[in-house]
Amino acid sequence: MKTEDQRLSREQVGSIVTMLRLTTDRELNCSECLQHVGEYAETRLAGKPLDEILAGIEQHLELCPECREEFLALQQILKAGL
Amino acid sequence: MTPNEINWPAALRAADSAEQSAAMQTLREVLQNGLRIALHGRGDVSEAHLEDFAQESLLRVLDRLDQFAGRSKFTTWAQAIALNTAFTELRRKRWHDVSLDALLANGDHLADPAMIADDVLGADEDRVRLVTVLRQAIEQDLTTKQRAAILGELREMPFDQIVELLGTSRSAAYKMLHDARRALKQRLQEAGITGADIQNAFNL
Ligand SMILES: [Zn+2]
Repeated sequence: MKTEDQRLSREQVGSIVTMLRLTTDRELNCSECLQHVGEYAETRLAGKPLDEILAGIEQHLELCPECREEFLALQQILKAGL
Repeated sequence: MTPNEINWPAALRAADSAEQSAAMQTLREVLQNGLRIALHGRGDVSEAHLEDFAQESLLRVLDRLDQFAGRSKFTTWAQAIALNTAFTELRRKRWHDVSLDALLANGDHLADPAMIADDVLGADEDRVRLVTVLRQAIEQDLTTKQRAAILGELREMPFDQIVELLGTSRSAAYKMLHDARRALKQRLQEAGITGADIQNAFNL
């Protein structure tokens, strides 16, 4: 593979820059996210304010595409009333 | 009883094995119904997959029963675990032929101008400078593995593959990436590039 073929797009460099903007010294990881994402989804659905842990979940979801994909799917299930 | 009326932790731990297996059976159905909704329309998911995912999820839920803190409905908590189980498996299938060696080799080139063009964010001075500082930081402050992991993330490689690439645990891999992001961010700050500048670079 030649490096030239691998050149990063504006979106990809942009996403590095966004990741850095969202980076903080203390962050939750994916397993902590999994533990609390249900509570986060219910709280959001009810329109209630987020406590510190749930705010950390929100930040993680902005940074982590996999947890975000799972959260969006969970929201769909909750909205279907299951 | 509807799923919301069941005291799930108690039912799943019931000493009476008939009560326990009835609860397990109901929960498996609840999880499978949720997965059917969430994965509806995906060509790579059959009803047999849904059954397998629900069964595996049920085992994971039982395994973690002590971690349920009652801060959400039990079924919501369990459903999150089921989605994690299903998506992890689907991502693994999609990526299973990726070459980690090729990614490691490319990771080493991540700071090359050939990989990140000076004017990729725009030709004005501030944006070129942001890219230059970023490239220098990638080259000087990150390890080969960190560079490869970031490249993997940009290519939407599943996190489990990145964990494999780094040859470590999931939480150690997350920390390694977090450390990399912090190091890059600090380098930008030292160069006088603030969060506001970064945001501006983005209003392209
Ligand atoms: Zn995550």
